[in-house]
Amino acid sequence: MTAVAERAPEAVAVRRLLTGGLVSGALLAVVVATALGAEEAVPGIELPGPVVAYGLPVLRVLLDLAAVAVVGLSLLPKLLGFDEPERTEPVMRRARPMAVSFAWAWALLALTVIVFQTAELNPGSVPTPGMIAEYVDNVGAGQGMLFSAACALAYAGIGLLAVRFGEKVPAELRILVALFGLLPIPVTGHAVDSVWHDPIMISMELHVMGSAAWTGGLLTVMLLVARDRGLLAEVLPRFSRLASLALAVVTLSGLVNGLATIALTPGTALPGSLLTSEYGLLVVAKTVSVALLVPLAAHIRFRLLPRVERQEATAVAAWAAAELTVMGLAYGVAVALTTATIS
Amino acid sequence: MRRSLTVLLLACAALLGAVAPAQAHNVLIGSDPEDGASIASGPERITLTFDQPARQGFAQITLTGPDGTRWEEGKTAVDGAKVSVGVRPLGPAGEYVVGYRILSSDGHPVSGKVAFTLTAAGPGSAQPAAAASASAVPAASGAPAQDPARDPAENPGLSAQAAEAAQNGGAGMAVVWIAAALVLLGGATVVAMRRTRERTEAP
Repeated sequence: MTAVAERAPEAVAVRRLLTGGLVSGALLAVVVATALGAEEAVPGIELPGPVVAYGLPVLRVLLDLAAVAVVGLSLLPKLLGFDEPERTEPVMRRARPMAVSFAWAWALLALTVIVFQTAELNPGSVPTPGMIAEYVDNVGAGQGMLFSAACALAYAGIGLLAVRFGEKVPAELRILVALFGLLPIPVTGHAVDSVWHDPIMISMELHVMGSAAWTGGLLTVMLLVARDRGLLAEVLPRFSRLASLALAVVTLSGLVNGLATIALTPGTALPGSLLTSEYGLLVVAKTVSVALLVPLAAHIRFRLLPRVERQEATAVAAWAAAELTVMGLAYGVAVALTTATIS
Repeated sequence: MRRSLTVLLLACAALLGAVAPAQAHNVLIGSDPEDGASIASGPERITLTFDQPARQGFAQITLTGPDGTRWEEGKTAVDGAKVSVGVRPLGPAGEYVVGYRILSSDGHPVSGKVAFTLTAAGPGSAQPAAAASASAVPAASGAPAQDPARDPAENPGLSAQAAEAAQNGGAGMAVVWIAAALVLLGGATVVAMRRTRERTEAP
């Protein structure tokens, strides 16, 4: 505790910068994208009020961020390694209860999202339990959210066992349950009706898992490990390998999904629809955010990492905060993308 | 390393299970009358054609006349990719706007409008408009309650699923299970968190 207390003000500032960047980036992007892509008023049709129109995407992005935190915290034991428990155990003792709390947030947000999705379909009325049951019975997006909430709750249960019994609860089990909870989330978004449906869905799942591992891993490493230079020198190179893989997977699968969805939707054509349709513009926005991430990630990987390995003082946390802010923006745009009109 | 690989393989297996339910976003590909058409006499029905079947229930079509009066009649019917609604004999000449909001097969609401121009005034009068618009709202919100029974042939898988769910208590039962799990886990969380705090503070 003494080491923490000495550096407390700095550590708190950095922690605020890391989480604040991610969360505010995500909220900013989702609100702007929702405002630009709001359902156009149609004569004679009642549309959902602003509480639902803005509340649903905001809750969705918070749900994504909670899931990202859970995935990141689940990956942490693998990144820390199991060889030196006396050094890694203090970090894990803080990480495990955090993972349980974020799993709770994830589950509760998923259940609230179901209520908002029901309200979105029934504008002008407050959803009753009957309407919500109807929605979950009939619509895949509702079932997907329910499954995700169930996985998050299961994670909370397993996470509690881990809080009690430590690393005797296998880290892989926690990673698996967290990733399972991510799987139904793309099902609540777009897909295309064609022979390419299954390959595109798999690419979408890879996209979601890759981005969660990348963002969540960076967030937890910087939040929990960065203050211990000796430990960071071992963990960051491990994370860096994971991040390089995630960057490749996320970029490739994202481009495949975005372009294939536009190409396969009737009434749209590449490359024109990239700039004319709402969906196309959001795909462009996400591509730009990846283009911003590459130099930031490369700076950490090639300039800072060698110095981190020599245990020198670096501004790696600040650079990571910049990277996380861009990731937050991408998450915000992603939520708008799941419901944007394609044509 | 091997354990990580197992995790990855299991996740991929789950992927294959999870991919099936995702559906596409419906896109309007045609309408009768067409968008921007000029017609001399009013249509009996308005039919919107989408690129793939729309979901039963939640669909709503309205027809708004030149002076803001409403002309649709009866409930909106979903027949596969075609969504239609009856129309009363139209009145004054001018631009009529068809507004729609349907539940896309991916579960998102899709809304939009189509406009056509009536070149010659029809026999209809705008008087029952208030009644029509008043009845349109309950018709739309009432539709989902009856839809599994209304057209079982449309989506046999879905209605069979719904029937099965109804037998097991449906979503109501799921809510009870979830509530029970929440209470149990919540209690465990509180106890565990308190214990860890005691343990970390004690030494």
